[in-house]
Amino acid sequence: MRFITRNMWRRKGRTFLTIFGIVVGIFALTVLGGMTARLNQQVNAMKGLMAGQISVAPAGTDMSNMQGKFVGTSTAREIEKVPGVKGASGLIGVQLKESQGFGQPQMLAGYEVAHGEGFMTEIGTSEGRVLAAGDSGKVVLGSDLATQLKASVGGTVTLKGRPFTVVGILKSTLGPTDSWAFVPYEDALGIFLAENPFIKATGIAQQIVVTPKQGVNAEALAATLKKDFREFKVTSPKEAEKQISQISTIFSAIILGIAFIALFVGGLSVINTMIMSVSERTREIGLKKAIGAKTWTILGEYLAEASVIGLVAGVVGMLFGLLAITGFNRAGHSSNITIFTISATVVVGPVIFATILGAIAGFFPALRAARLNPVDSLKEE
Amino acid sequence: MSIVFTSGLTKVYQVGETTINAVAGLDLDIEKGEFLAIVGPSGSGKTTLLNLLGCLDVPTAGTVTIDGMETSKLSSASLADIRREKIGFVFQEFNLLPILSATENVELPLRYLKVKPVERRRRAMEALEKVGLAERARNRPTQLSGGEKQRVAIARALVTEPALVLADEPTGELDTANTVKLMELVCDLNRDLNQTFAIVTHDPMVAERTKRTITLRDGRIESDEAVA
Repeated sequence: MRFITRNMWRRKGRTFLTIFGIVVGIFALTVLGGMTARLNQQVNAMKGLMAGQISVAPAGTDMSNMQGKFVGTSTAREIEKVPGVKGASGLIGVQLKESQGFGQPQMLAGYEVAHGEGFMTEIGTSEGRVLAAGDSGKVVLGSDLATQLKASVGGTVTLKGRPFTVVGILKSTLGPTDSWAFVPYEDALGIFLAENPFIKATGIAQQIVVTPKQGVNAEALAATLKKDFREFKVTSPKEAEKQISQISTIFSAIILGIAFIALFVGGLSVINTMIMSVSERTREIGLKKAIGAKTWTILGEYLAEASVIGLVAGVVGMLFGLLAITGFNRAGHSSNITIFTISATVVVGPVIFATILGAIAGFFPALRAARLNPVDSLKEE
Repeated sequence: MSIVFTSGLTKVYQVGETTINAVAGLDLDIEKGEFLAIVGPSGSGKTTLLNLLGCLDVPTAGTVTIDGMETSKLSSASLADIRREKIGFVFQEFNLLPILSATENVELPLRYLKVKPVERRRRAMEALEKVGLAERARNRPTQLSGGEKQRVAIARALVTEPALVLADEPTGELDTANTVKLMELVCDLNRDLNQTFAIVTHDPMVAERTKRTITLRDGRIESDEAVA
């Protein structure tokens, strides 16, 4: 080990640059890994909430449905006639802020409370109660939004210029609903129509959230609804979960892809450094072989050196990454935005990865070193 | 007792179209405790012979037997074993590792022999004492003179108590005073430890201090004479 560090120290500048190359990559991997971890946390929270309900939306819309197509609340009443349906609640959502910036979009979600409370019951309250029928002018806040608005049960908050009395605050799910405000459908519709004066309809919803009766299989019920309501897009819990997973997989792939490109470049610089080291030390290798070092002994020595470069870079890069994550999270704290999650994977993963990267990148130069013919390498200047 | 024994030892190099018979059917017998100089003009095959004796190179034909072990059929790993256990090398350019201290350089062969650290240190110090460099043990090669470096290299060759020490132009980079000192050291080691040495050299001053001189020409032994 001492010999390895001394060898690395021989070419301080070069070793530093090589390590720096990987540090940048590992930094990216750590930070983006933290972002992915946060994303997965939200996705998992969302999956849990979606588990019990079926969504019915106009055909040709996606999950968020900002396409300006609507379904009538009258359809919700028809759906409620289907056996096995406990309730079908029209949902209308409005963004709370024009520009959402970085972080979770803050949403105002209006449910036909008498026909189903949407996610509220699923999440449960930490304070107060969920909305009930006839709760006009009342609001239940997601945990992050409540903190941000400094709201407490019984207090009043102003959303979209209208006063609402807080009747409940939801438990934290770490998912997007933490930044939502739940209000009765009529209140949300009023705000929605005020914002979109060209829409002259009443009884419209962006989607209908269908809750199955106790003991009714949601997938089977979704299949029935698909048959009976062909003109709509019916999404079963499993399908919704799949869609969310797809989105998160794509995001993760993009995010980690960027980090891996950075690391690929870092890996190339390790290869380069090790090739240089091997050529510089050809004579040394010849000597070691002359005094009896076996091929695998030399291979081991060079692999160890490359791995240590990777390890050092991994630790440094990861520490910088954690520093940045903590910094960003603290900066986002005031506005209650958490972009990163620090998990064991985020901390240990990049370090292990960098070490393995070093070893892999060092393998071929090391093999080249180990295979040198002692007679020829001793002649080398 | 024969330490090294060769029979019909041949090494042929192909350089482009030309075939070079670097060593051409050489029979040689070196006894335990011998002190031998191998001399001859450039290209006479001295270094090739030394590489073959040291198991750094494999013969095209013929055999090399070292300490009773016939080496021509051995794998490269087994040849490494023989080099590690039976042979010590001394080179013209010293070939000390710059990142290691004198002691650590001397310890290196023991490291490859998997000798325990404490034992390694003890034997390395012992070897450095033998070459009179105990007080320079902690110095790096850059802090040593040429003569001192070569003495460290000799200590490194001796530390494993090899059957045979092979030296290729060990005084090639030394001035006269240091050459004389080094040869005196080698003479003493040969006499006191009964250590076998085979030295390839150009330098008559070196050759005349050995006990036997083999002159090579065109890969063959031209003369083989004991020095009085």
